[in-house]
Amino acid sequence: MAHRKKNRHVAIIGIGQTKFSSHREDVNQPEMIHEAVSLALKDAGLTMKDIECVIHGNMELFEMIHQPDLWHTLGTGAEGKDCIRITTGGTVGITLACASDNLVASGMYDIVMAIGFEKLQEGNTTGGITNMADPLWFRNLQTGALTGSKAYEFITEFGEDRSKRASLMYRVIMDKHAGLNPNAHRSFGLEFDQIDDLIKSSPKLIGDLKLIEMCSQSDGACCVIFACEKKAKELSKKPVWIRDHITVHREEIFQIFGYDDAYPVMQTHRFAAENLYKRNGITNPTDYFDVFEMYDPASWWAVDWLRDFFQLKGDEHIKLVEDKEIMIGGKIPVNPSGGVIASNPIGATALVRVAEAALQIRGDAGAHQIPKPVRHALASGFGGTLWTVLMMLEKELNW
Amino acid sequence: MAEYWGIKVEDIFNTMKDRFRPEGATGVTGSFGYDIAGEGKWKVSVYNGSLAAVEKIDNLTGCASVMSSDGETFVGVNAGKVDGTNAFMGGKIKVEGDMAAFGKTSKMFRKFVIKKKEMTVRDYLLDMFGTVESRFKADAAEGLDVIYGFDLGGDQGGKWSVFIKDKTCRVVTGIEGKPNAIIQLGDAKDYVDMILGKNDANSLLAAGRGAVIGDLNLAMKWGDYFDKYVDPMGGGVQEQELIVLKKTISVNQRFASGPIMGKFLNGLKEKKILANKCPKCGRMQLPPREMCAMCRVRVDDFVEVGPKGQVRYMEYVYYSSPDPLTGEARETPYGMVMVLLDGCKGNDVFMHLIRRDQIDQIKGGRNEKPGTRVRPVWNDKRVGSIFDINYFEIDE
Repeated sequence: MAHRKKNRHVAIIGIGQTKFSSHREDVNQPEMIHEAVSLALKDAGLTMKDIECVIHGNMELFEMIHQPDLWHTLGTGAEGKDCIRITTGGTVGITLACASDNLVASGMYDIVMAIGFEKLQEGNTTGGITNMADPLWFRNLQTGALTGSKAYEFITEFGEDRSKRASLMYRVIMDKHAGLNPNAHRSFGLEFDQIDDLIKSSPKLIGDLKLIEMCSQSDGACCVIFACEKKAKELSKKPVWIRDHITVHREEIFQIFGYDDAYPVMQTHRFAAENLYKRNGITNPTDYFDVFEMYDPASWWAVDWLRDFFQLKGDEHIKLVEDKEIMIGGKIPVNPSGGVIASNPIGATALVRVAEAALQIRGDAGAHQIPKPVRHALASGFGGTLWTVLMMLEKELNW
Repeated sequence: MAEYWGIKVEDIFNTMKDRFRPEGATGVTGSFGYDIAGEGKWKVSVYNGSLAAVEKIDNLTGCASVMSSDGETFVGVNAGKVDGTNAFMGGKIKVEGDMAAFGKTSKMFRKFVIKKKEMTVRDYLLDMFGTVESRFKADAAEGLDVIYGFDLGGDQGGKWSVFIKDKTCRVVTGIEGKPNAIIQLGDAKDYVDMILGKNDANSLLAAGRGAVIGDLNLAMKWGDYFDKYVDPMGGGVQEQELIVLKKTISVNQRFASGPIMGKFLNGLKEKKILANKCPKCGRMQLPPREMCAMCRVRVDDFVEVGPKGQVRYMEYVYYSSPDPLTGEARETPYGMVMVLLDGCKGNDVFMHLIRRDQIDQIKGGRNEKPGTRVRPVWNDKRVGSIFDINYFEIDE
C-alpha cells in the first residue's frame, strides 16, 4: 500500500552544492553555506523572498558551535523567516529532505529550503561521534565511526580473497565515479589493476578495514529547495517528485550484527527497504530503480548493504560489484557522484545523496550523468548505531 | 638524475639538515628509510630529537618505517606540489613498518622551497638589519635604553648599530654612540648562520669565532626584544588575510546513573557483573537498561552472570582513535572484545578491553562454535565504573 497520508505532492526545484574539500580555510561557515544557497537559488530561478521556511542541519558536536543556525543566518538568508533546525547524526541531510517534504506536503509551506553543512576540519569528528555512546559505559570503549566487524562478517561468509577484492573493487569504482564529479573531495585516479596491491599496502584501521576503504572527512554544504505541486509546475521545467520516504530506528547498542544465526538481529536497512517497497508495490528494486545514491561510509559496508537495499540473496550483491553493474553504464549504477567514500561533509552528506539522485533524474549531473534515461531514483542515509532513511524520487507524477 | 619542478630527489635529502625542525621531533629516536624508485635509498636517523644523519645507503634494515614512491611523487610532496594524503591513499606512496613512526616525519621537516635565487651573505645581512625595526617588540623593551653594536667581518660583512630607547628602535650603519654590547664575529657568514638557526651563539663564542664586548647578558637577551627573523628562502608566504584560531576544549561533566545502571555499577565494586533479563524475550542486557527497547517493557529482574565467558568478536584496532575522555591517542594496537559471559546467550555480549599482549591469540566464536575463554582482571580500587575491570585476559 502506497503512503496514503500525503496531503499533496512535493518536488525538488533547486539544487546547490559546494566543492567538497579537506579544508576550506578560505571561507568561514556562513560564507561556505552561502555558496550552496546561492547556487540553489540560481538553479531554481528564485530569490530568498520566495523561500518561506529554512530547515538547517548539521552536528553541533563536530564543530562545537551551539545554535549554529544563528551565526549562519548571514549565509542562509533566514533573517525574518521561519527556521527549523534538525540534528540526527549521519542521516541529518536526508532527514532535512524528509522534514521539508512533510512540511510542504502538509500545506504549512509552499516553498522550503533545506541546508546541510559541515566543516569537519574545524572540530574533532571522532570525539563528536563517541559522544553518542552511553557516557557511563560504552563511551569509554568505542572507536568512533570505525569498525572492522562488517569486514569480519563478510569474510566469514564469503572467504577472505573474494571479500577483500569485492571491497576494493567497489572502492575503485567509486574513485572512477569521483573522477567525473568536479565537486568530489577525494579522487585518486585508482585503477582496477591496483586492487591486489592496495589490499596489501593500504594501512589497516580496524581489523580488515583499511584506510583506502573508509570515507574522508570533508568540508562542504548542500542546499535543496522543495515546492508544492502547484508552485513546482509554475516555477520549474524539471521538477523531481518525492514519492515516499521511510525512517527506521533501533535501540542504541553497538552490537549490531549478531554472532549466532539462531538469534537474528534486526537490520534496519533491510527492514526499511522491505517496508518501503511493499507499500509502493515494488517487487524488484534493481529493475525498478535506474540509479541509487547510497550513503556508503566504507566500502565493506557498501557492498553488504547493496544486498539489504536491493533485497538480494546469497552473493548477488557481490556479483553486481564484480560484474561492474554498479558502474555508470551498468545495470543499476550506484553513486555516480563518487558517494560518501569520496566526499563526506557529514551534515550535508545525506542531502547530497538526494540532490545527486535528483540531478540524475533531471539529466543535469554533467560528466557523471548515467547514459540512460533516469525515471526512478533511490537515495539513502545512514547514521548512529544503524539508523536508516530511504527516499524515492520520480521523474513523472504517475504512481 | 631526473628533475621535477627543477628539483632533484637528492636536493630534498641534502637540505634535510637545514629544514629540520627540532620542535617537531621532540622525544623521537629512530631511523626512517626512503626507497625512491630509480633514484636510490636513503636513511634518515634521528636521535633523541636531533637529526643524527642523512645517508644514501643500500640497505634499509633496522628502519622503523620505509617509505617508497617514485621520484616525482616524492619531490612533489616535499615541495608542496602534490597532496601527500592523496598520494598515500591512492597507493603512490607506500609505507612499510611502523605507520605511526612514519607519521612523525611529516612534522620534522619544513617544506622544501624552490629557491628563486641564491641569497648571498651580504643579501642576508641587508635583509636581517633591514627588518630589525619591524621585528622590534616595543612592549618587551619597556624602560630599556641601550645600544647594540654589530661588527661583522669578512668581505661581505659590515657594521650596524641598533638604538633602543623609549620603546622605539632605530638601526644605523656603522658603530655609533657608545654601544652597551658589541657583537663581534670574524666572519659575517657565522652571524647569518646563527640567525638562520644553523649555528648557535654559545658554540661560536666557545670556538673563539666571536666575542661580545660589553654586556654579555644584554647581548644574549636580543631574542627577547625582537621577533625571530624569517628566512625569505625558507618559509611560505601567506597569500590572503586568513587566520586559523586553534582551540582545545576541556569541560567537566556529571552524568547521573539512575537506579538501574547504579545497581550494576555498585555490583562491580563487589566484583559482581549483573545483567538484567527481559521478562518477555528473555535477553540479558549488559549493561542493564531500564527497558527492553524491543519488547517495550520494564526490566527489573537482575541476574548475576560471568564473570568468565567467551569472546564472540574482537575489534583489532590499529588506528589510534583518541580517547574521548582525555583526547589522548590510545596506544595501538589494542583489542575491544565482545564477551558472552557465562549465563548469557545469543548476542547478549558484554563489551570491554582485552589484555594488550594477548590480542593476537583471541579467536571469536560463531553459532555453536565457542571463542577464546576469558576472565576479568579486577581493579584493586573499585569505585563503580567501567574500569573497575581493568580488562579481560585469557582464562586457560
